[in-house]
Amino acid sequence: MTSNHAPASSGSKNPQPRRLPLLFSRRRFILAERSPRPKGRKATLPACLTFLSMLCPSLHAQTIDDGIMLAKRSLCAGALYTHDSWDNYWQGNLQRVNGNIGTITTQTVTMAANYGVTSRLDFIINVPYVWTDASKGVLHGQSGFQDLTLAAKYKLLSIPVGKFGALRAIAVLSGTLPMTNYTPDLQPLSLGTNSKTLSGRATLNYLGRRGLYLNGTAAYNFRGNVTLDRSSYYTNGQLYLSNQVAMPNLFNYGTSVGYRKNDVSLLGDFSVQQARGGGDIRPQDMPFVSNRTNFSKAGATIKVPVPKVRALQYWFIYSNTFQGRNVGQANTFTTGLMYTLPFEKRATP
Amino acid sequence: MTRKTPLFRASISAAIFLALALSTSSCSKDIPSSEPLPTVTPANTDANAGSWKMIVLSGPTQIPVTAPAPVSDPGYQSELASIKAAQASLTDAQKTAITYWSSGGVLRWNQIMREIAARSDLPPSPNPDGSYPVPNPANPFANPQYPFSNPPYAARAYSYVSVAQFEALKAAWYYKYLYNRPSPFKADTSIKALLPTSDIPSYPSEDAVEAGVNVALLTLLFPTSVDEINAKAAEQQQVALISGRASASDIAAGVALGKAVAAVFAARAASDGMKAAGGNAALWQSLADNATARGEIPWISQDGPPRPPMLPVFGKVKVWMMTPNDIVNERPGPPPSTSSPQMQTETAEVKSIVNSLTRDQQATVYKWADGVSTVTPPGHWDAIAEPYISAASFSEVRASRVFALLNMALHDAAVGCWDAKYFYFNPRPSQLDPSIKTQTGLPNFPSYVSGHSDFSAAGSDVLSYLFPDGATYFQAQMQEAAMSRLYAGIHYRSDIEVGMDHGKRIGDYTVRFAKTDGAN
Repeated sequence: MTSNHAPASSGSKNPQPRRLPLLFSRRRFILAERSPRPKGRKATLPACLTFLSMLCPSLHAQTIDDGIMLAKRSLCAGALYTHDSWDNYWQGNLQRVNGNIGTITTQTVTMAANYGVTSRLDFIINVPYVWTDASKGVLHGQSGFQDLTLAAKYKLLSIPVGKFGALRAIAVLSGTLPMTNYTPDLQPLSLGTNSKTLSGRATLNYLGRRGLYLNGTAAYNFRGNVTLDRSSYYTNGQLYLSNQVAMPNLFNYGTSVGYRKNDVSLLGDFSVQQARGGGDIRPQDMPFVSNRTNFSKAGATIKVPVPKVRALQYWFIYSNTFQGRNVGQANTFTTGLMYTLPFEKRATP
Repeated sequence: MTRKTPLFRASISAAIFLALALSTSSCSKDIPSSEPLPTVTPANTDANAGSWKMIVLSGPTQIPVTAPAPVSDPGYQSELASIKAAQASLTDAQKTAITYWSSGGVLRWNQIMREIAARSDLPPSPNPDGSYPVPNPANPFANPQYPFSNPPYAARAYSYVSVAQFEALKAAWYYKYLYNRPSPFKADTSIKALLPTSDIPSYPSEDAVEAGVNVALLTLLFPTSVDEINAKAAEQQQVALISGRASASDIAAGVALGKAVAAVFAARAASDGMKAAGGNAALWQSLADNATARGEIPWISQDGPPRPPMLPVFGKVKVWMMTPNDIVNERPGPPPSTSSPQMQTETAEVKSIVNSLTRDQQATVYKWADGVSTVTPPGHWDAIAEPYISAASFSEVRASRVFALLNMALHDAAVGCWDAKYFYFNPRPSQLDPSIKTQTGLPNFPSYVSGHSDFSAAGSDVLSYLFPDGATYFQAQMQEAAMSRLYAGIHYRSDIEVGMDHGKRIGDYTVRFAKTDGAN
């Protein structure tokens, strides 16, 4: 781990070209055009990377599930505000409203940072603060820090697709850790599930020279047991005489299709989550932390550079949960600014 | 080689990250649904339990049990032979069942009842027009299922099953020592004893008595759980047989006795006032009008849409250890007037607490929420009693005495509490000050006095008498349960203090009985 945190010093001290940042070095070869690179398989991969790095001038990489990587030794950080609300929800498969909660609104401010250790390895950290509120009934909203997310995003390979673009494969390992001892037992007003999670993700991404962006991603999330403040609970047809709740793991996948070029992203998104177990919300009962939460969402992502502040990017992401089980039929939007700070000069603007 | 260095390093860092992350979430996913209870070997046979005072039955011989065939009888000998045959080829499922029931049928049936009560603890969903359907005992599987096992319903159910079981076991003990038939493993030494052994005679089988009582009464009270109840009862009887504890005729006599005693209680339940406890629209209006006539702000439902009050006539349901006059005599004095400065002060206190709750106070709220889909407060106190009963190594009849006494007090407290709630019809804090937001679901009935405080004081009172070593703990639990309702923002301090005092006085009726029931 430490070896990858070191390149700030070791990389700059090392004069050998092979130790130079990937983006840098490959570009230099491309500019040299006829540089005497050996032909063959070993040369193909660097060539692909070079090609790709030209296609992706943006340093704005961001999320755990997209196909974008940060340049080496650059930091992208900012704040995002998320507003999520629903009045209809699925109690099991039954869509309904509930006069005891009205509209549930969850607002989140996330401090996000993404650091490019190398051009193929990013570390991501997210720190969310959450507020919840019910518009009807008498239940008290909750607020506080929710779950810290840490992720390592690794670009496994890039393959050029003719002269049209490139395909790359990315693996992400991420985990979440509750930052406070908030209760998971006041759903849907709890800040979250208060479960430690570990997630493995694979992403395939195609980016065309003219900006065609195709992204497919899938993840499996392992979720640790949750501890309640009570010594028994009823869910999924059984009374459990324990304060420990087994959380079903989650499988999710998604696709994004759209345009991405010159720091502008315009994408249509679709994603699905399937819980690998868990019970349904009982009639007229509150949701329970280990419920089987499935959903399908569709939405759009817009990322544009702020005029005159090229390193600053404005984000707007919208999604609608159009199908689900034991979740709210949520409309969610995220908006915010992300700033990219390169610690090394770029080879090109 | 060197070209691979970044990839190699990244792989190592990913592996380390993975290992760290895995080590933080390595806890097991398996949560046992039934608590592992220790095997119980009775420390005392309680041979005189047949003479302990009855509560509903006229005496131990109200239900006759005919004498068993002598040990030498060929029919009995063939019963023994079939036990031997069964023991020669036990399945894994049978061995698991033997382990399950070895901690005592009374404890297991109480767990089963708590599970069933939690399953049935669901308020009906509103109709599209804003009205609410009423669960129908004549059609229990229809939506909404019958019953809605809310706290008063559950208190009554726990008490019926527990008291009937206690009475039936006392009668069984009478006949056991009247006939003195030995267990099969004693009658024939080639039969193994696979359950804890004692010198308690086996006719009629106590396990079968419990199965008979529970099949009849649990099914009456929770008809939609009939399949599970029948399966558990059949399993308990089979375990009694294949473990060498009881023969087929011991079991048949036990089931018959249990069912006959249950029938006595079913008849009582049919006319104890429960059927009228829901009231009707005219009655609901009169409760509000009475409060208005006294110059008070009447309670209104804050459910959305507004829901009829929960069992407003439950205060008239028959009690176990008290008379209807006792209920009225023990009724607490009125709450502070809704227009009084004291009520303003108390409402302000609720708001202040609920808006500055510590995490510890919040944990207390959730520990004692006992709302929808839970065993309810009476079941919570049964769960508190469980480890004390288990650790005491009681005989089945003495174990059943604990649950009978505890649940009689809890039921009587429920009746007394509901009487006060609907007599005063006092609004909740969040009604007097709509800016008060609660930390748990708001119960749909009037505020004064606090049910948790009433239940907990009655439960703590009885358990402190039965297990003096635990008295400090029980009283701490009572205080915590009562205060949890103030932290939750659903009760004023006076609801809690008066409720605890009321519950203690009601619990004392049961304690006075327990002191003279012949079991000491």
